[in-house]
Amino acid sequence: MMRMICVRIPQKKRIFEIPGPRVVKDILAETGHRPATVIVTMGKQLLTRDHRVADGETIDIISVVSGG
Amino acid sequence: MKCKRCRKATAAIELRSHNATFCPDCFFIFFRRQVEEGIRKQRLMSRADRVLVCVSGGKDSLVLWDELLEMGYDAEGLYISLGIPGYSDRSKEKVIAFAEARGKKAIIVDLCDEGVPIPEAARANKKHECSVCGAIKRHFFNRVAAEGNFTVVATGHNLDDESGRLLGNVLHWQKSHIARQHPLLPAAGEGLVRKVKPLWRLSEQETASYAFLKGIDFVIEECPMSEHATSLIFKEALSIIEDRMPGSRMAFYTGFLDLGNPVREAMGRAAAESGEFEPRPKDDGTPAGTHLCDRCGAPTLAQTCGYCRMKAKTVERAAQDAEKKTTEAQKASGKETA
Repeated sequence: MMRMICVRIPQKKRIFEIPGPRVVKDILAETGHRPATVIVTMGKQLLTRDHRVADGETIDIISVVSGG
Repeated sequence: MKCKRCRKATAAIELRSHNATFCPDCFFIFFRRQVEEGIRKQRLMSRADRVLVCVSGGKDSLVLWDELLEMGYDAEGLYISLGIPGYSDRSKEKVIAFAEARGKKAIIVDLCDEGVPIPEAARANKKHECSVCGAIKRHFFNRVAAEGNFTVVATGHNLDDESGRLLGNVLHWQKSHIARQHPLLPAAGEGLVRKVKPLWRLSEQETASYAFLKGIDFVIEECPMSEHATSLIFKEALSIIEDRMPGSRMAFYTGFLDLGNPVREAMGRAAAESGEFEPRPKDDGTPAGTHLCDRCGAPTLAQTCGYCRMKAKTVERAAQDAEKKTTEAQKASGKETA
């Protein structure tokens, strides 16, 4: 079975897979997130926009925008 | 990508608005300096103050409480449970766990116990939930601060909040709101405590990064009542500009603050002339057109303060609902018997 990057968006309760390797900046562009509105994490690590995510790795895209 | 400060460790965060990249340790130093600078520049408070931090369970307010404690401030947390099913329980749990981990106990006000849960209060008063929520929370900020001898109330509003709010106020020329918009709202007598926003120099991304790197467990879901809040539109507009022109948000807000009091005073005068401005009591405590609420004793322009009027309507509506339910139940049981 082909291994891919697992992308989780906790606030929207969405999980999907995309083929890797790919840099965070491109993943955000593909998933329609503006970099300043999210943090991207992998386990206990915070990822910068140039971080290359490999197949088999899981990342979380967490929105930082609070309203009200 | 390396940390631009220590030039050794791998960067964990890139801040395009500061043209900087930081490893976790250097980011915490950056963060502390921004908070210190924010407090110093606007003379928000000193170590002699007793600080009441208003915490919601979200990232900004918990980060603020954490940072103020680390900076050595005498800071206690106030959590107001809004009575929103599910969301309020989850956010309260986060606050309690955060406080316990630091040997603290949050002061908790439950709006259900007070008779003004936000969904019911909004319905009874025919107002938007966010508007009712703001007014009720401000009432308790002042009341708890006065009861606990706190000298200042601190909230977790950040640069995104304040710049978004400024954009909304300018776009609609809300003169009275512009007149009042500042990280420092001075005290006015005993009823209205000084209010400060020490995170005004930090973006939401920076507070979220701090929370994540510090392992602060905050509630990531948004308040279900704020889904259509207009503030989100202004924030989004600014985030589009910020993406293309990093630093614009800070330039917009600090530019406004640098213009200083004359601009805010001019807006206040214009608002007063058009009859939309409600004067705040003077610094010496002398009410400027205000007196004390005949029910709770809070400063107000009317005979009864906004909070007490809202509460009365909410309680009345709850009684009507209960009566209706009883009547319906009696009718249903009557039909069954027949």
